[in-house]
Amino acid sequence: MNFLKKHCVAMLLAGGQGSRLLVLTENTAKPAVPFGGKYRIIDFPLSNCVNSAIDTVGILTQYQPLELNEYIGNGQPWRLNRSHGGVQVLPPYAKSKKSEWYKGTANAIYQNIPFIERYDPDYVLILSGDHIYKMDYAAMLRFAEEKDADCTIAVRTVPLSEASRFGIMNTNEDGSIYEFEEKPKHPKSTNASMGIYIFKWSILREFLIADEEDPESENDFGKNVIPALLNSGHKLFAYQFEGYWKDVGTINSLWEANMELLGTDPAFNLDSEKGGRIYARNYAMPASFIAKSSVNKDSLIGEGSGIYGNVKHCVISTGCTVEEGALVEDSVIMPNVVIESGAIVRHAIIGEDCKIRRGAVIGGAFAEGEAKKIAVVGKAKTIEANQTIAPGEVC
Amino acid sequence: MSTMGVIFANIYDSSLGELTNKRTMASLPYGGRYRQIDFSLSNMTNSAIRHIGIITKYNYQSLMNHIGSGQEWDLDLEEGGLEFLTPYATDHNASYRGKLEALSSAMSFLQYAKEDYVVFADSGVLCAIDFNELVKYHIDSGADVTVCAKKGIANGVKQLDLAVKLDKKNNVSDIAVDYCADESYLASMGIFVMRRDWLIREVTEAVAHNRFRFERDLLLYGFQNGSLKLNAYSFQGVALFNESTAEFFHNNLALLDRDVRDGLFRRPGRTIYTKVRNEVPSYYGDSSEIDDCMVADGCVLEGAATHSILFRGVKLGKGATVKDSIIMSDAVIGEGAELENVILDKDVVVGAGKILRGTYEHPLILKRGEVV
Repeated sequence: MNFLKKHCVAMLLAGGQGSRLLVLTENTAKPAVPFGGKYRIIDFPLSNCVNSAIDTVGILTQYQPLELNEYIGNGQPWRLNRSHGGVQVLPPYAKSKKSEWYKGTANAIYQNIPFIERYDPDYVLILSGDHIYKMDYAAMLRFAEEKDADCTIAVRTVPLSEASRFGIMNTNEDGSIYEFEEKPKHPKSTNASMGIYIFKWSILREFLIADEEDPESENDFGKNVIPALLNSGHKLFAYQFEGYWKDVGTINSLWEANMELLGTDPAFNLDSEKGGRIYARNYAMPASFIAKSSVNKDSLIGEGSGIYGNVKHCVISTGCTVEEGALVEDSVIMPNVVIESGAIVRHAIIGEDCKIRRGAVIGGAFAEGEAKKIAVVGKAKTIEANQTIAPGEVC
Repeated sequence: MSTMGVIFANIYDSSLGELTNKRTMASLPYGGRYRQIDFSLSNMTNSAIRHIGIITKYNYQSLMNHIGSGQEWDLDLEEGGLEFLTPYATDHNASYRGKLEALSSAMSFLQYAKEDYVVFADSGVLCAIDFNELVKYHIDSGADVTVCAKKGIANGVKQLDLAVKLDKKNNVSDIAVDYCADESYLASMGIFVMRRDWLIREVTEAVAHNRFRFERDLLLYGFQNGSLKLNAYSFQGVALFNESTAEFFHNNLALLDRDVRDGLFRRPGRTIYTKVRNEVPSYYGDSSEIDDCMVADGCVLEGAATHSILFRGVKLGKGATVKDSIIMSDAVIGEGAELENVILDKDVVVGAGKILRGTYEHPLILKRGEVV
């Protein structure tokens, strides 16, 4: 088969276990975790690719890939069902000499050098599947070309007090990076890496091969490949990103990111007029029915739902039922959940396909001065009638 | 046994007035997120009918745009799939006068097909039906044609295309066309089954003798002269006849009844598919009061709505009230506006404080894109 040359190929790292999402990633890869009423986390980087005219995307899967693979399918919802390019799921596979799992982010790309080579790209964009944001990668690519950068790293400004939690890029005035510090105790700047890289493919290829030959390496972009490029005098640039960006790798950040969709002028606006449309695999459901007995305030409600109870400051996903007399507040309800009459759900994340029986009480108000405690119910669980799940409890 | 489908996209267009001025009956929006043809297409897909011709006469641009490759219905196939049978696709007269003439001009579609049976459907009657069961019923009956019909529609006032009367053994004892039949008749749902070879022969014969209407010139004609054995299948599920503006209005609001809603949308294995629009979930603001409504994705709701259908992307301003109304896609209703018994077509903009009122029997209709 003939492969057309692609200027830029995207490689999306979607193999992370996401263990900090606890029960929500028990049987699901993190990128397949539902978000925002009808999306999954991976919809964001995938839609960004399409909105940035990048039509060739390799998705590297490893942990619990079944649901993710099924979700991506042939890529049609993102217009990535192409004859040339399109979306390709790349699991680890047995080679003639050895078979191995992806050892690290860099090794995952290394093992797929043949996939990338087919398109003879000038640039490779490295993305991860656990961030919520809208970004024009094409603008970042133009920046990389203008600077003739060997590697461009997207950064955003974080408060200095928090900078020690991130990989920090110390830059010169022209944006070139002179130093990279992983979680520095005494940060010199506030440019936090977003884990989004654009490499010249010829350079990356060379460094991936060298990295693979180094038995000491952890085969990780942040820990090994970026420092190696920097130490060998290559041109690295930081690309400033201004918009909303959220790592949804923890229960609290996932809950917060959902809550940040709410309000008349939300911190993160899903609307297509605000930085591009987010595509998702749609399921055929009728419009939602909102009953006379319901009260809905400051909430997003997906299609196919039936709301008979009280919903306040919530994200209610596609296909949910909230029965009359149920109360749901400050919560994220994932698809196809049933909350029966008299149940109370507060400050909680309820996984897909759960049943919350009559009179069950989940979560509660945040205690003042303490860390927010989000109650979590894992996928397809049933909480029995009158059962109580305490604030912050995970089940 | 294999079955193909024929969907007639424009049958009653003239009776829906301005709603079908620039679209076919088939592409008329319904129920918050559907077009009327979604029901026939989904019924066929769900019954494993994979070769479908859509017969259109005029105004079919919006229909083609809606259906595209047929991918949402799994009909973007190498073999079979969807075919648009437009007037000028053949060498025949463009303005055919009835289903027989339309079929005659699409004869090659029928001739080159491989299926044994043909199911007809149109876009004016909405239901979720299993065509396999219907075809089996037809074959077992040994009849030439089986009509799918619904009891309780005929009322002595509504004019029926085809009315069917059954005797105690459920045999057809009388049929009538263009007739305001009384309650003892069943109303044809525009759904018919017959053998393909039989249909080709009958269409050729009828059109050659200037007979061009299927119900009158083939069914009634054959029934009366004894040359045709007609069988009727009495459909027990929900069937909504949207053949006039008032019916369209009432049958949209009928979805607010759970039994109707579940009978159309929640039948196992009978999912209704439609074109995806990738809208965000709807936002219900602090000042919103939504009671007894169907709401599709992409709405931003700050006002009040009662007993209404809100399609995708509707913007409802603060203090606005909407009652007993159908609000189609992307309509914008300004702050403090009051609407009652109104149908807003797509993209209508209602200014702040405007008051629009129709009656339940004669809803006020605002044309697509109108600004008031």
